[in-house]
Amino acid sequence: MSKTSAEQSGESPEALLSQVALGNRAAFEALYRATADRLFGICLRVLRDRAEAEEVLQEVFTAVWRKAAQYDPRQGSVMSWLGITTRNRAIDRLRTRPARASLGALEAAAEVADAGTSPAEEAEASSERERLSRCLEELEPRRRSLIRDAFFGGLTYEELATRVQAPLGSVKSWVRRGLLQLRACLEP
Amino acid sequence: MSARMPPPDEEDSRGSEPPDDDVLAGELALGVLGAHARRAAQMRREQDPAFAAQVGAWERRLAPWLAAVAPARVPDYLWERLCRELGWRPAPAAPSLWSSLVLWRSAAALAAVAAIALWLARPPAPPAPPTAAVPSAPEPAAKPVTTLAHGDGTPGWLASVDRTRGTVLMVPVPAPADSRGRVPELWIIPAGQAPRSLGAVSINKAHTVEVPPDARAALAAPGSVLAITLEPASGIPHAAPSGPVIAKGAITT
Repeated sequence: MSKTSAEQSGESPEALLSQVALGNRAAFEALYRATADRLFGICLRVLRDRAEAEEVLQEVFTAVWRKAAQYDPRQGSVMSWLGITTRNRAIDRLRTRPARASLGALEAAAEVADAGTSPAEEAEASSERERLSRCLEELEPRRRSLIRDAFFGGLTYEELATRVQAPLGSVKSWVRRGLLQLRACLEP
Repeated sequence: MSARMPPPDEEDSRGSEPPDDDVLAGELALGVLGAHARRAAQMRREQDPAFAAQVGAWERRLAPWLAAVAPARVPDYLWERLCRELGWRPAPAAPSLWSSLVLWRSAAALAAVAAIALWLARPPAPPAPPTAAVPSAPEPAAKPVTTLAHGDGTPGWLASVDRTRGTVLMVPVPAPADSRGRVPELWIIPAGQAPRSLGAVSINKAHTVEVPPDARAALAAPGSVLAITLEPASGIPHAAPSGPVIAKGAITT
């Protein structure tokens, strides 16, 4: 039986964040202990560089402390909000790298497969992910792999085009069609 | 289907046309835009609520994948670095407090039980009016340790009061979390006055609690008590306790 730290401490990320918004440092530390490993995993996956991943994680939590009150439950669960924020910042960081440096990401993307199920996963997140995976399976294989590589490897259109050795316009078109198909499948 | 060279998007004209807003929102969320286009889309997100909502919807569609990313162990020094970044003093080491655990065992705490029970049996009282009392001359180093004991006399928390700074260092004796999801809330109860919340406390980490300036006088006043009750997580700090007392102790003077 594996449990997340949040479960062990009996406080949900939602409860903790609402206390963080009131300036409660203990809640902030508990939230950090409960979520940092997962968010660090996201930083590492996108950036493939520990020092940069650490800096981005620190940025994320600094922002969480200062802007906790801006969280809106309509944006989804706290865990998913934290994950999205983390990934966005990691990709921002990736985009500040010189173009050549991101070539490493091309190779990294090659080894990107669907990660195994995280033991810490909540049942709800897992059913949502099954739905997303099912919709992705309905895509044409090329569109599917482009979207997955873009998501997990943080690749741009240009990088994707280089990687699959296809014209930029075609890659854009495949990804866009894939996104539209995905949207239609997720929200019939 | 062909991948002939220019025009590269020959097989599908949509590849070169500006995408509609929702597709652009999806591209921003997916992260495929290059640095320049990404910045432009992010600026638009900040200024255009409708577009921002579309980006948010795409982020939520893709978010379930994030749960599949394997966690990675964060190095311990990162927490300290984060505290420095936020301008916090790193938490003092706990051992000296732990060693005084035996010394300060339940005696003082038990003495306070009656006082607390009295207060918690009362209907919730409005918060005490702020008192303007501020210690005029900061005391030197004395930092008495108070044991907050459970009903059976076993220690639940150790509290080290720093009157000069107006803080209380709370060191929990690790215990299981409340099965109903309530969280421990710390109260200071000046003799003869209503409890006043000092916020939530951790059940497994030492941390410092800042006492509001108008409640600091109670830290040095004779007969003041620290108590911990189990409360709903939302709404902390509460105006008055509503849950059971799980630990308490008189501040040692």
